[in-house]
Amino acid sequence: FRFKESLAEHLQSADLVISHAGAGSCLEALENGKPLIVVINDKLMDNHQLELAKQLHRDGCVLYCNCSTLVETLQSMDLSALKPFTPGQPEKFASFLDKVFGLQ
Amino acid sequence: TGGHTTEILRLLSCLSESYSPRHYVLADSDKMSEAKIRSFEQKRAETFSESQFSLDRIPRSREVRQSWISSVVTTLYSILYSLPLTYKRKPDLILCNGPGTCVPVCLSAFLLGLLLIKRTIIVYVESICRVETLSLSGKILYYFSDYFIVQWPELKKKYPKSVYLGRIV
Repeated sequence: FRFKESLAEHLQSADLVISHAGAGSCLEALENGKPLIVVINDKLMDNHQLELAKQLHRDGCVLYCNCSTLVETLQSMDLSALKPFTPGQPEKFASFLDKVFGLQ
Repeated sequence: TGGHTTEILRLLSCLSESYSPRHYVLADSDKMSEAKIRSFEQKRAETFSESQFSLDRIPRSREVRQSWISSVVTTLYSILYSLPLTYKRKPDLILCNGPGTCVPVCLSAFLLGLLLIKRTIIVYVESICRVETLSLSGKILYYFSDYFIVQWPELKKKYPKSVYLGRIV
């Protein structure tokens, strides 16, 4: 199962996703409406990837734990408390660029 | 590379055909982005048949966590390499979102602007991963870009000259 081209199929049929803090993994799970638990690697404290995971946790969109607290988190989790994730809006970017170039 | 490519393709997804032809610049060591780009452009050609794009490769300017001093040398080399490319393409707009590859391209465009050869508008979009701190590319290009876009309010506070549009990928 090392590196599959696309996890999309597995993601679609999952009820819960447990992932590392990589942005791609987190966003893919959230955009597919899956409840997500992000597991932080304590030994990579300097990792800027944590910023997004922390923010998503502050927004109430994900649960957050480290390897040693994973079991406890799974036992006590309340997935219904997770807030829905609103996807990003590239239209706003297009609109902004159009203004810059006087294309509106 | 990877996440950067996915983000930039999302940014491109809502752009009209006024933003054409598109010239993609990749690091020579990047194996995965080309396929993603071709797939995106293929889909785009289904709606806009006249759509045009090209792919260029440049030496990677910096490896992750490469030392400061050697990074300056490799970046200078990449700038030398990017100059003829930027001169040839003379883009009206450069859009980038943070991989080390973008710094030499933007700096060479900036230089061509100073030399009055071509004025390119440089738009930098910091990655969605960057909530509290800027990437190294961001810290550099904050001073060289025409528009510097951040996706989280805390960065807007720290970098007041930036543009905040909310999450756009």
